[in-house]
Formats: sequence, C-alpha cells, structure tokens
Amino acid sequence: MSGIVSSEAHKPPTERRTNHGRGFLTVLIAAMTVVAPLLLPMTAYYLNLSMQAATYAVAVVGLTIVLGYTGQINLAQAAFFGLGAYSVALGTVSFGLSFWLALFVGIVIASVAGVVLGLTSLRLGGHYLAMVTISFQQILTLVLTNWISLTRGPDGIPGIARPLVFGFSFADGGTYLALCVGTLWIVGFCVERLKHSKLGRAMQAVRDNELAAGVIGVDTYRTKVIAFTLCALLGGLGGGLFAGGFTYISPDQFSFAESVVFLTMALLGGVRSPFGATLGTALLILLPEWLRFLKTTYLAVYGGAIILLMVVMPEGIWGFLEALRRRLWPPAVTPVGRVAPLPLTTQIADEDDSTILEVKQLSKHFGGLKAVDQVELSVGRNTVHALVGPNGSGKTTLLNVLSGIYKPTTGRLFFDGQPVTRLLPHERAGRGIGRTFQNVRLFTSMSILENIIVGAERPGNAVAIGSNSVEQHALAALDFVGLVKLRKQTVQSLSYGHQRLIEIARTLAGSPQLLLLDEPGAGLNTVEKSELVQLLKRLKRHGLTILVIDHDMNLVEQVADRITVLNFGRRIADGPPAEVLCNPEVIAAYLGNVKTHVAP
Amino acid sequence: MAMGIALQLLFTGLGIGSIYALVALGFVLIYRATNVVNFAQGDFAMLGAFSMVVLCIDMQLPYWLGILITLAAMLVFGALFNFAVYYPLRNRGFQPVIISTIGASLLLENGVLAAYGPRPQTLPGFLSFPGFSVGPIFFDSQYLLILGVTVVMVTLQHFIFERTLLGKKMEATSQDKEMASLLGIPVALMIMLTFMYSSALGALAGILVAPILFVSVGMGSSIALKAFAASIIGGFGDVIGAIVGGLALGVVETFGAAYISVPYKDAFAFIVLVLFLLFRPQGLFGEKVAEKA
Amino acid sequence: MLKRMIYQRVVLAGLMVVHTCLPSSAEPLKIGMVATLTGAAAEPGRDETQCAKLAAEEVNKAGGVLGRPIELVIEDSQSTNPGSVLAFSKLTGDKDIPAFIGPIFSTQIQALAPDIQRIGKPVMIGGTDPQLTHMGNPWLFRFRPNDTYSARVIADYGVKTLGKKKWAIVYSTEAFGTNGMKNLVEALKGMGVEPALVQGYANNSQDFTAVVLAVKQSGADVMSTYMPFPPDLAIFARQLRQLGVNIAWVGSPSTVGTTALRLAGPALYGSYAVCDFAADSSPAAKEFATKYEANYKSAPDLYGAWAYDAVHVLALVIDNAKSLEPQKIREAILSVKGYPGVEGTYNFDQNGDGLRGYNIVKNDNGKIVFIKHIDFSE
Repeated sequence: MSGIVSSEAHKPPTERRTNHGRGFLTVLIAAMTVVAPLLLPMTAYYLNLSMQAATYAVAVVGLTIVLGYTGQINLAQAAFFGLGAYSVALGTVSFGLSFWLALFVGIVIASVAGVVLGLTSLRLGGHYLAMVTISFQQILTLVLTNWISLTRGPDGIPGIARPLVFGFSFADGGTYLALCVGTLWIVGFCVERLKHSKLGRAMQAVRDNELAAGVIGVDTYRTKVIAFTLCALLGGLGGGLFAGGFTYISPDQFSFAESVVFLTMALLGGVRSPFGATLGTALLILLPEWLRFLKTTYLAVYGGAIILLMVVMPEGIWGFLEALRRRLWPPAVTPVGRVAPLPLTTQIADEDDSTILEVKQLSKHFGGLKAVDQVELSVGRNTVHALVGPNGSGKTTLLNVLSGIYKPTTGRLFFDGQPVTRLLPHERAGRGIGRTFQNVRLFTSMSILENIIVGAERPGNAVAIGSNSVEQHALAALDFVGLVKLRKQTVQSLSYGHQRLIEIARTLAGSPQLLLLDEPGAGLNTVEKSELVQLLKRLKRHGLTILVIDHDMNLVEQVADRITVLNFGRRIADGPPAEVLCNPEVIAAYLGNVKTHVAP
Repeated sequence: MAMGIALQLLFTGLGIGSIYALVALGFVLIYRATNVVNFAQGDFAMLGAFSMVVLCIDMQLPYWLGILITLAAMLVFGALFNFAVYYPLRNRGFQPVIISTIGASLLLENGVLAAYGPRPQTLPGFLSFPGFSVGPIFFDSQYLLILGVTVVMVTLQHFIFERTLLGKKMEATSQDKEMASLLGIPVALMIMLTFMYSSALGALAGILVAPILFVSVGMGSSIALKAFAASIIGGFGDVIGAIVGGLALGVVETFGAAYISVPYKDAFAFIVLVLFLLFRPQGLFGEKVAEKA
Repeated sequence: MLKRMIYQRVVLAGLMVVHTCLPSSAEPLKIGMVATLTGAAAEPGRDETQCAKLAAEEVNKAGGVLGRPIELVIEDSQSTNPGSVLAFSKLTGDKDIPAFIGPIFSTQIQALAPDIQRIGKPVMIGGTDPQLTHMGNPWLFRFRPNDTYSARVIADYGVKTLGKKKWAIVYSTEAFGTNGMKNLVEALKGMGVEPALVQGYANNSQDFTAVVLAVKQSGADVMSTYMPFPPDLAIFARQLRQLGVNIAWVGSPSTVGTTALRLAGPALYGSYAVCDFAADSSPAAKEFATKYEANYKSAPDLYGAWAYDAVHVLALVIDNAKSLEPQKIREAILSVKGYPGVEGTYNFDQNGDGLRGYNIVKNDNGKIVFIKHIDFSE
C-alpha cells in the first residue's frame, strides 16, 4: 500500500481483481489469527505474552497516527494507556460498572486528555511539544501513585474482572486473547484506511511541511489536535484491554519508561504503518524473551540491537520491507484516459478592472527591524502584478503577511472587498488565495497526485469531496501543467523545474482567484523559464490574478502588467513596467543590476 | 526560624540545581550542534562516576590521577559515541537519532550493570571536611564545590566559544551547519569535538555528584530528564539559560517540596516547564526563532 | 498355562510402564523461582538467588529430597509486574515443578496471584503486604513476618522500651512504604499515640532537606522510617545529621540492609531497626551468616535470608509428606511448628503466615547488634 489513491472505476480490471484478491487474503489471515487462540491450546506463557503484545500494539498503532502520519512526538502514550487501564480497573472493581462501560469511559477520558495535550500544540512543535508530553506523563504517574483515595495508590488494583457479552464470558485466556487480537485487527484496518482519507492526507501534509500545508488550505492546528485525540483514544483502548488481560495493575507500569518503550516499538517496526506498529511491538516483546538466555546482559544487547536497527533500517522494519517491495515491483503506471479539463480553463477573462487585493498601510516589524514599512498596494483583477526590489527589501515578508504566515504589525488587507487581515493561512486558501514558495515546499512522502489532491481539498473548493471527483480535479490540474504522466512518481525523483510546476498545479487544484508566486523562476534554466512565462500568460487568459516576486527582470517585463518596487521595506515605485523601469530611484536602488542582472 | 529554613532550602536548592545545570550544559551543547536531544547524556555522568570508583577505590589510584584518566577516557568515549550513535544517522531527521540515543542509554546502563553488578557504590568527596554550619544553616561542602565548578566551567566555556578560533568554529557549526561547511569548516569534525567535550563535561558532573547521590547505574537518567527540562526553561540553545534554568529548577523543587508537598516534588519541575512552554516557549533567555518561509 | 504366561507378560509390561513413569531416583527435583535478576531491583534479586542456592546446596549435601537432588529453575521477572507474570508462566509450563519460590515484592505477588490460584501449586513468598495471606488464596506461604507485625513491634519498642511518644513517620510513597506507614499509624493508635508527623516522599529523591526540616519542626522525639531504596536512606541520614537531628530512630528492615549501611556509614550509627533477619538473633542465623559470608564474601541480609528458609522448609515438608501433590505439600507446610529458621521460629497459621514477630537490632558504630525479639501470638 504505497499510498496511491485510485478509485475503483478507473482501474483496469486486472488491477481491481488483484486488490480484491489481496483484501480477501488479508481478511482470511485476520480471521485465522483471531480464531487460533480459541482452538489451539496455548501455554499460559504464550497466552500472557501474546496478550501483552496485542494490547500494547493497539496503543502503538495510536502512535502511528500522531507520529507516523502527523509527525508529532508523543512521549505520554503510557499515560493514556494508564488512564484506560485505571478506568477499567476502578470502574469494574470500585464502582461496579460493567467492563464495556468502564472501557468506554476509559476511552473517553483518554481522548479528552489527548485533546488537552493537542491543544498545547498551538505554539509548540518538535522538542518543546515532546517536553510537554513528558511533563504530562510524569505528572500523571505521580497522581496515580499519590492520590490514594481514588486510585488505591502504589498497591495497585487487583481482581479486575473480564467482560461478559450476553452471558458469554471472556474469562478464559484464549477467548480474551481472541478479543484483543480482533480489536487489534479492526483498529489496524481503520488506521490504514485513515491514511488514504482526506484527514490522513492532511496529517501527512502537516508532517511533511506544516507551513505549506497551512497555506494550501489544511487547518493544521485542528489536524494536530485530532491526531493527538485519536492517539490517546487508542492508548486508552489498549490500556483498558490490558487491565482486563492481566487482571492487576499498579502505577509503576505506566511511567515515562513505558512511554519510551511504546515509542521505540513504533519506530522500530516502522512508524508510518499500523502493520509496522504491530511488528515493532511483537518484536520488542519477544526480543527480551528470546534473549532471556543471556540472563543479565540481555538488556544491554537489546539496547545495542536498537542502535543497529536504527542505523540499518531507519524507516523501521516495515518501512524497509515496503521500500524493498517498491523497488522490486514498482507500481505500474496505467494510462489514465481522458482527463476532464480544469473548470479554470473554461473561464475566459472578462474585462473587469476592479481591485481584487487591497493592501493598506501595511507594516511588519521584527523588534527594531522594519521589514515592511507602510506599504500600500492595489492588485487589479485579472492582471499580473510584479513585486520587485533588491535583496532584503521585504518582498517575501510582504507575501508572508498576505498568506497569513505573519501577522501584520499595523495595516489592513482586503481580498475581493472583504477584510482578511485576521484570517489564518488555511482560511485565506479557503477564500481563494493560493501561494507557492521560494524554496519549493512539496510533501515529499506523498505521491505527486496526492500532493495535488491535498490542494484540491481546500475548504470551500467547488469540488464535491468524494474520492472520484477530487481525484479527477487533481488530474486536471496536473494536466494543465502538462505533467499527468508523472502522477505516481515521488517528489524527489523530479527535476527542480518539474517540482515547481507541481507546486503550481497543487495551488491551481484549489481553484484560486489570486495566485501569489514567490520567485517561481528561481533555479530554472532558460527553456524552463520561457515555459513558465507561457504558463503565467495562460493563467491570466483564464481569469486568474497573479502577484509574482522575481529577480529576473526579463521575465518580469514579459508578463507583468504592473510593477511595484520595494526598497528597505518601503514602496518606492508603482506603475506600468515602462514607467517603473525608467524611474531613477528604482535604478538607483538596483544600481548597476538592471542590465547585467541574471537570475540565480 | 522561618528565615533559617528558607535559607537552608535556598542553599540546598541551588546545590541540587547546579547538578541539573552541569548536566544541562552537556545537553545544550549537543543540541545546538546537531539539533538532537541526547537521551544518554545522563549516562555520561554515570560512566564518569563508575570510572572513578574503579580507578580510585578498586585500584587505589590517587584522586587527581583518577580524574585525569577518567576525563581523558570520556573524551575518547565521546568520539566513539559520535561515530556509533550519531554519525550514521546524521541526515535522517531527529527521530531515529533520539531512538538511537535511547538504545545507547539502555546499552550503557545495562552494560555497566552486567560488568559491575547492581550494588550502589560510594565515592568520597574531594574535600575532607563535610561542610560547616552558620547558625541553623548547614553548607554541604560538596554542594559548594559543585557550585564553584559550575561557575568555572561556564566562564571557561564562554572563553572557549567566544575567544578562541576553534570555539568560534564550533559555535558557527552549531548555528548553521550548511553555512559553516561552505566556509570551509569541517562540520563533522566540529560535531565530533562537541560530543567529546559534552561527554567529558557529563563525566565531570558525575564525578562531582557521586559523593552526594552515590554511584549506581540509574544515577544519570534520574537527573537527565530534569536537566533537559531545565535547559528548556532557561532557553533551549542558550548556555547561560541552561545554568539559570538548572538552578531555578532546583530551587523551585526544593521550596515546592517543603511548602507544598514532598511526594509531588518531581511534579513541580514539570508544571513549571509546562507553564513556560505554554506562555514563554523561548525560555528565560532564548530567542524566538522564526522559520524562514 | 497360556493364561499365566499372558498374565506374567502383562504384569511385566505394567511394571515397566510404571517404572518408566516414575521419575528415576537420581533425576533432579525442580523448584521454580521467580526473582528480579535485572531492572531496578537487581540487587535484592541477586541476594535472594544466592541464599536460595546456598540452601539448595546444603539440602543436596544432606541427601536431597525424596532421594533426589533439588535444582532451582530461576526466571527473571525484570523487576516489572508483567515480567513477573511472564516469568511465572514460563515456569508453570514445566509440569514437573511441584512448588515455587516467589518474589519478595508484594505488587509482583499480587500480579501473580490469579495465576497461582489457577494452577493450584504452593508458592513461598517474601512480600510483607498483610493482604497477601488474607485474600483467600490458599497457595501463598509467607516466610517473613508481615507488615502488621513490624508496625506493632516498632510501636511496642518505641513506646514501651524507649519511652518515646512523639512520633515522626517518614515513608516512601510506593507500596512497601505506604503500607508500612498505614500499619504503623494503626499500631500506634492502638497504643493511644497519634503521630506528630506523617511525611511521604517519592523514591529516588536526590534531596531530603524538606523532609528533614519537617521532622525537625514537628518536635518529634522518635522517628520511624520506611525507606526501601538504599541511596535515599543514605542521603536522608546524612542530611539529618548535618541539620543536627539526633532523635531516636526505629526504622524498617531496610535501615540495616548491607548496602544502606555501607552507603550511609556514620550517619546511621545509633539507630534502631526492626529486622526479620539478624545474624545474632539465634544460633541458626549465626551459622547461616557465617556460611554465607564464606561463600559470597559479604554479609547476608533480609532480602535473601527468607529464601534460604523457604528452600529448607520446602525440602523438609516434601520429605515429610512423601509426596509432590500440591494439597499434601500445603498441609505439610501448615503443620510446621517450631522450625528454627534463620528468620525466626516458624509456626504456620491457617493463613499461611509463618512468622509473627521481629527482631530489634541496633546500629552500634557500624556493627549490627541484636537487642531482643518481640513476638505476637496472633
């Protein structure tokens, strides 16, 4: 499952049959593993081992969502696990609830905790977020140990009962294991499906490039909160099942060390797939057992083995196997047939000279540095407006303010007559503002087509969200830039010029009205640049408005209807190209660069 | 009376805080150079302490010789650590490296456990007098020593990084690897030197701490987590911040234990950390870093 | 004639079958043992296994059990609860093992309890949580006096012998400490004493200034501690003396553990402790201590002494019962009366508790001196 989205109707018959065959085989294997504990006699040792593996795996699959898909470190998984376990334990033992009710309560509590943790991600990422999760974990362990009146403290809670379903008891070890394995399969299946859904794509976009994700329409904050919530939910579910399995829990089992164990299991197996999560869990539970013969040195060997595995197989074992499979059996590129053109192409520019973007007295200060100083700008509908100026003049900063990445210090913005000064990046994408970056920001772990689809899924896009039409729309955008044949390639395999075009296609898939292009010509050779010019002219013919930053005056001259020049954050000229390029102040600002300027 | 208690708590808080500060220094250096959190930092301290036990207690070598050998050995160990744990993973993002350092921590702790056994060991302090009292307040001499050494180390480090060419190269590497490389600075070498220095620094912390906390395989990891928190509170990436963060954490913890609750002592550190992370993530001294769009 | 031949053949065959089914007399008798060989509790685990092995050697030298040498099959619990469960399930997979030596940690024993109940074989334990022998599990046999007794002995000695009434209790918030504290508070209440300070702390604290100051401030004239982790105890003791606190101290058995004594040194001089094992408390204990020291070059302490007793008692009762059947072994253990173990004299009650008293010892300039033994009849 290399993350390729294909709707059933468009696949050739053989591919469809293979998929059905594979699905059937998976269900068969799943059924066998669930039934096996019921039929085969297992020693207590293997029962206990498998139970620990299955319940831990459910929690580790949670980490797949938050770390594997969304790229956020969570070192509090043992805390969520503990919340689930304690809910089941206290629920059944102290409060006399049924196992299922207690489990449900546990899942709810864990999820709420996950929401809280996710909310802290508003301003934090990377190591800082990791530390918040560690703190949460440490505090929870202390509470579990010391709030004796509620949790029974360090003694733990013995005698946890196993569930009943209409009088059928799960008390037998084999039956309970079957329950756990069944749950694991369902969870794994759902999480695998998640990867290919809109939410899953949004998560991966956040992981690969959070900045770009926001700008093309992904609500990154909400995505992260959801990711944490789902992760915590699964942690709680695993913990609840664990409590029922071992029938005794104590607070020392839900400590930071355990969170580290969960993380290690996820990373070792392969963090981007629930199968990897399960594999990693099984391995790290079995490995100490296999190494028991080493008596006292096995933990040391285990630590060394972890280092080795990380060096040799960084994507985890499953990732390694996946990469191998992709190399041996590369996905066939089936012909895609006729692609309906972008709705964009049916538009013809009408003679409308109203203003689409209004920038009033915009300033952006960084401490004492005035990066943008009282800039006024008007971009007319259906024009190509260039923003130029020497290095450090504030062009990219201005664009970042327009995208919503920076908040302006003073000033106001109006798009299509509406004030947008306070809007977040994804909200601006929702209004129809698209943007590309100076250094191409594509989502490197997704296929080209998936990259485009994320753009198409921006809020408010006039495309029905159902896999078929969205995919069609994405193909259309790809077709517009002439690169349909590359749709299943990885980002890294493309030339720089092609990557640029893909980035533009991604934005086009969001049906923008205004396109903000930051140095689209950077890094392109002459041929690619003239193709770019043609593309920009085409876009203009179809009614799009473009605000472009570039250093190459040749390119600017060819496409721009109007040029605004910035220097030291201030606007020093604004008008049609002929006028602006003769402006002595502009020439002075560039001093000697105009004639000999060659784009980098 | 209350004043006396408060002063005693202050001193002890600073004492334990200086231990966090020393370990935090090591964290910060490696983080600045490689953008990676080294989960095995605490184990450098443990190794340094065990080395002293083997050299000075088991082999009866004089103290100063034991220290020299230990520090030299830890410099070498730092280089080894770099090659085995960091170098092969240097381009792969921070997650694999974090796991690798966790594996290293496991390996080191259990390796020492297998080699030396689980019994905690004692290491006598360097100063033959245990401390002195001023009124009701007792000043533990080892804590005083640690505070003193911390001040010396910070000054020394400041001197090295600001004044010497080698130090400036290491500083440049930590701020911008690519740029440094373009300027002809051998980045891999600088990083190796950073690991070596951090390793020796960790060992020094362990040697100083051993007389107070005793030598056991877990001694490092219990300090390391709080030291990491301290470095964030101080402002991750800032050396002075690590020191101030460590001291502050020690004081907050000690006062919290005395006036609020002893069993929840460890929670205070993390509560303070969370507050900082939510309201002032750049810490006390750090600078806001904006991502270049 | 034919009938007789067939009859003889059948009997012969039957005898051969029976003979091969019976274990041969030289085949070792396996005793399972769950111990913490790795992880946080590796140290007490090592003591435990060494003591058990010493006992096993002695039993074998004296002819073994039912004519067979005993063999300890030791599995590592990795100092965790799931680890204990896995270790135990590994052992129970071997159907030839008739009995087990369980962990010393009460939480691990709790984790094992359901499995023990299920397989129905006797397990000798060293955990002191009183609950363990009062939860209806007939297969747990305790070889150390439980915490109700340590509390009663401490209270008895402190109030009656030392004559102190203002108590400070310092305890670790993990299972052992919390239980100890609860039991002591109750025992003191039974003697009409309300503690002046009950102060908990989390294991692995690096600093005890706040606790010491609290003790000082409470004005207590006697202090009891439940501090299982030797470095904690040593740091606490040192800081106690630095801040000038020299009140009477009657601590839990860990106060005289060999490691604690070594780490704390002079800071623990003059303190009392209750201890289930004291080398001078009886001739049996003294003999054991000498033998252990000769073998392992260090003094034995409470973490392992009970296991020594457990192995010997188990060997004894199996020999007496002449059977490996769980129920028979159980009855044999419960009928043990007046057995002179190194921990004390064992008189098993119907709950499975073998000992009901503790020794009071004193740290006399580093030497542990036996003061007296206090026993309770029930």
